Amino acid sequence: MKLKKFKHYYSTFIITAIAVIFTVFSAGIGLEKSTIYLLEKIIIAVILAVSLNLVVGFLGELSLGHAGFMCVGAYLGGKFSAIMLPNLGNSALNLIASIIVGGLVAALCGAIIGLPALRLKGDYLAIVTLGFGEIVKSIFQNTSRESFGGALGLETPRFDKEQLFIYAFIALIITLLVVTNLMNSKHGRAITSIRDNEIAARATGINVTKYKLYAFIISSFFAGVAGVLYSFSNYNIQSSKFGYNYSIEILVMVVLGGIGSINGSIIAATLITFINTEFATILTGNLAVLQNLLYAIILILIVIFGNSPALESFREKYDVKKLFAKIRKNDPSTINSDEAHWDKIPTKISMDELFSLDVTNNDQNSVLNIQDKEGK
Amino acid sequence: MKKLVKVLCLIMAIAMICSCFAGCGKKGYTANNTKYVIGMSGPLTGPAAIYGLGVQNGATLAIEEINANGGLNGVEFKLEATDDMHDATKVATNYSSLLEKGMQVSLGCVTSAPCAEWTNLSNEDNVFFITPSASNDDVPKYDNGYQMCFADGNQGKAAAEYVSENYAGQTIGVFYKSDDNYSNGIFEQFKENVSKDVKIIETVFTDAGATSFDSQINALKDCKFIFMPIYYTPASIFMTQAKDVIASDAVYYGCDGFDGIDAIEGFDIKKIPQQVSMLSHFNSKATDGKTAKFIKDYTNKYGTDTLNQFAASGYDSVYAIYQAMSAAKVDDVTISASDLSDKLKEQFQGGFKFKDAVTGGGNDVSWDANGYVNKTAIKFIIKEAD
Amino acid sequence: MEIITTIINGLSIGGIYAMIALGYTMVYGIAKMLNFAHGDIIMVGGYTIYVTMNLTGHPLIAIAVAVVFCVILGVTIEKVAYKPLRGASPLAVLITAIGVSYLLQSLAQIVFGSAPKMVRIADMGSLKIGSLKIQVYTLVTLVCTIIVMICLTLFVKLTKTGRAMLATSEDKAATQLMGISVNRIITITFAIGSALAALAGLFYLLKAPSISNTFGSMPGIKAFTAAVIGGIGSIPGAMLGGFLLGIVECISYKIPIIAPYTDAIEFLILIVILLVKPTGILGKRRREKV
Repeated sequence: MKLKKFKHYYSTFIITAIAVIFTVFSAGIGLEKSTIYLLEKIIIAVILAVSLNLVVGFLGELSLGHAGFMCVGAYLGGKFSAIMLPNLGNSALNLIASIIVGGLVAALCGAIIGLPALRLKGDYLAIVTLGFGEIVKSIFQNTSRESFGGALGLETPRFDKEQLFIYAFIALIITLLVVTNLMNSKHGRAITSIRDNEIAARATGINVTKYKLYAFIISSFFAGVAGVLYSFSNYNIQSSKFGYNYSIEILVMVVLGGIGSINGSIIAATLITFINTEFATILTGNLAVLQNLLYAIILILIVIFGNSPALESFREKYDVKKLFAKIRKNDPSTINSDEAHWDKIPTKISMDELFSLDVTNNDQNSVLNIQDKEGK
Repeated sequence: MKKLVKVLCLIMAIAMICSCFAGCGKKGYTANNTKYVIGMSGPLTGPAAIYGLGVQNGATLAIEEINANGGLNGVEFKLEATDDMHDATKVATNYSSLLEKGMQVSLGCVTSAPCAEWTNLSNEDNVFFITPSASNDDVPKYDNGYQMCFADGNQGKAAAEYVSENYAGQTIGVFYKSDDNYSNGIFEQFKENVSKDVKIIETVFTDAGATSFDSQINALKDCKFIFMPIYYTPASIFMTQAKDVIASDAVYYGCDGFDGIDAIEGFDIKKIPQQVSMLSHFNSKATDGKTAKFIKDYTNKYGTDTLNQFAASGYDSVYAIYQAMSAAKVDDVTISASDLSDKLKEQFQGGFKFKDAVTGGGNDVSWDANGYVNKTAIKFIIKEAD
Repeated sequence: MEIITTIINGLSIGGIYAMIALGYTMVYGIAKMLNFAHGDIIMVGGYTIYVTMNLTGHPLIAIAVAVVFCVILGVTIEKVAYKPLRGASPLAVLITAIGVSYLLQSLAQIVFGSAPKMVRIADMGSLKIGSLKIQVYTLVTLVCTIIVMICLTLFVKLTKTGRAMLATSEDKAATQLMGISVNRIITITFAIGSALAALAGLFYLLKAPSISNTFGSMPGIKAFTAAVIGGIGSIPGAMLGGFLLGIVECISYKIPIIAPYTDAIEFLILIVILLVKPTGILGKRRREKV
């Protein structure tokens, strides 16, 4: 029993170990600047991916505006820290207070957006969040210079660069603990049951809207936290960064890592951030155009290779988990991971809209629907 | 117990991987340089790539010329250009990787928003930069940063003076991009300084709506003077769409972003009936002097695609660094960025005059105590009214 | 008078949005995927027009070549990138579409460089009706988009292929059983969508004759919004949504106080409409059955 519980926190332990090692290194011989920047970036990406996974993987709703919540967190947390700077200085206290403020405001936005959108069935959350992200971006871009910096961006205090990553690691570990704990609790099971079959979940007495909102608010809270960390790792934040492209970038990490797999999100977020940074440092000058090209080709190949139904047997043959299993001399069939294979997870991105020519709104006229009505 | 051993092994393995990441910090990156390394970060891909590529090409051209003439006391220069895609978050990575590649002096960032990040980062390590084109007023706020282009605010003030003198009591139009800091920076200063008896009709566009200006054109159709602190691409679209709607004796007046508008492939400025003029530091139609030679060399090498004030300014920035370094008598190729910065700062604050500039009408260029550039602004009439 | 000009302008930009939105809506309704690379087909169409205009100088040839090239490109992308994923999670297809979008954009930069290119297709001048002054291309765009939409509606309504499309959207398996090749229908859908994208590129260039490698991304996302407002999957919905969005955009740019927030307003309308009527204005969706 204890070992089983330990298994859930495997990744948290590993991350903690990495955090301790880096801290020791930085206190001892010091780290390269580029390593520190890379670490900060990776940690922020991992927090974002894990929190988005809560919505996409465990709740089964698609969100295309995760960067919007991050933006809210970054701006309000950043502004708060700038206001508190004379009182608190550039201290850990200021950082923690800003993280809480930014996270809470982002969570509040999550509640405002989620409350109406999550009561609807289907993938409306995707489009509402997409709209939300663009609205937030546009509003912050056009604020006055004094309030939120407008087009030039908000000036935020940059935290001591030798230490920020340590606090970021702590934030990441807290995120992981919260998400893993949540997913292994009663509430977590309620959330996954909504994903698997909403109607059945409702029938067993689960308050569907409440749990959906619950997961969504927690997810936006951590997006806000990532935003505040981001604002602390930069001198200047611009809302144009938080457009829908960035939301998609986070979604790519979640999908590549495996929907519903926290470990997968961690690995994918780390790898993608690392690859992008490496491309940016290696492919300089006239080679810079190749960055996106290579990234696009890799992306397409990975997705096709990992998901094509035609390659199913090939994938099974070379499954990483099974390879490890062979090394361990175990029977592959006995390995049952807690994370379902991601393409088997029934996301609610069902795309049930019908192609139609009808000008009248005929929910009532369709044969299917008439039967439905009679059935009720 | 077995599990514990496994976990310990894992932690050991991670520790080893991490140690690969963590080299020793604070070592002299420039110790192994055999050439002076100039770093830059700019948008080499994405929608703003034309500006970044312009600077990169201009700077490369200058470096090749300098190297062909024997470099600085026989030591050559080298440009390291990194791509920031006009995104401030990429700057920190670029900056640190440039430092690790041995950057000793830099051109900063090409565009203003990323440069705000660069300004702060380079101040931490005292790395000297002279940006060819990041025109925001805050860019030279520390003593290690200088601008080769005019600051936005100064351009706005100059335009406001011109308008107050010539259009008192009349109604003028302004067309600017509300989510762009270049446009905003100029317009804010313009609005503050323009005399009160000039009535202004403001119209804006945003990045998302940069293709159809019909409604803005309609709002401006009775104006005889339209101030456009924007870049030339949207300006050319505006002019094409407006040519029959706006009176043909109207004047379009832009800042240095207008430069290159007459060189856009496929855009025939002669078909625009209105007068097009601008206040700039670079004349891409120059026919004599150093400017003409630069235009010829540049066109031979890179074509006219990116021949704009960014390219010229990038070229000048490299020469300014070169001249300042030779004036400071720098002779150590492994000089650290911070030491070089101190020497260059001394020059730039001590009345250093940059000669043979391509921009600024060929006159000498100098810098004031705030890091803003002093050079001749030229009011060009790109095209007379029909 | 002013308001009439604004509305006509809005309708013409809305017509372009509607054309692109039709592509989104058809692919979404039939192939059940969000084709985020659709906007970049517009860009490719624009560059094709640019190249052929330079080579031949004849607008009609340029248009024909662009349409053909985009159709070939659209079908190729479908075959290479999307077809292997048929039956996989919709999200996987979404990510591939994003990959394709990055790919097309970076290829365009490698081939054509970063500087925006100007394309003069035809100089049409302007028209005076009373005190109204309207650009001819505005009217041309408006008329052409309406004709295209009528043709598309008739095609889907009257031809066998069109009805097969409707059937594929309702029930893929049953359609297959009726002897209709679903793969062929999806290919045709992509072909039509890409042809519409090429035309949209043309009208964009008539309006704003400047093209760069990110030319299509913003119209793409706006048109997607329009498709959702009108009810994704619905052909008349896409048209309605496009026109609505175009008019809102033009009116919003007219009012100085709210002009900078135009994008926010457009997306706000999207959210409000979705909250009031979740399927969009004319959308239609299958009821969930236990």
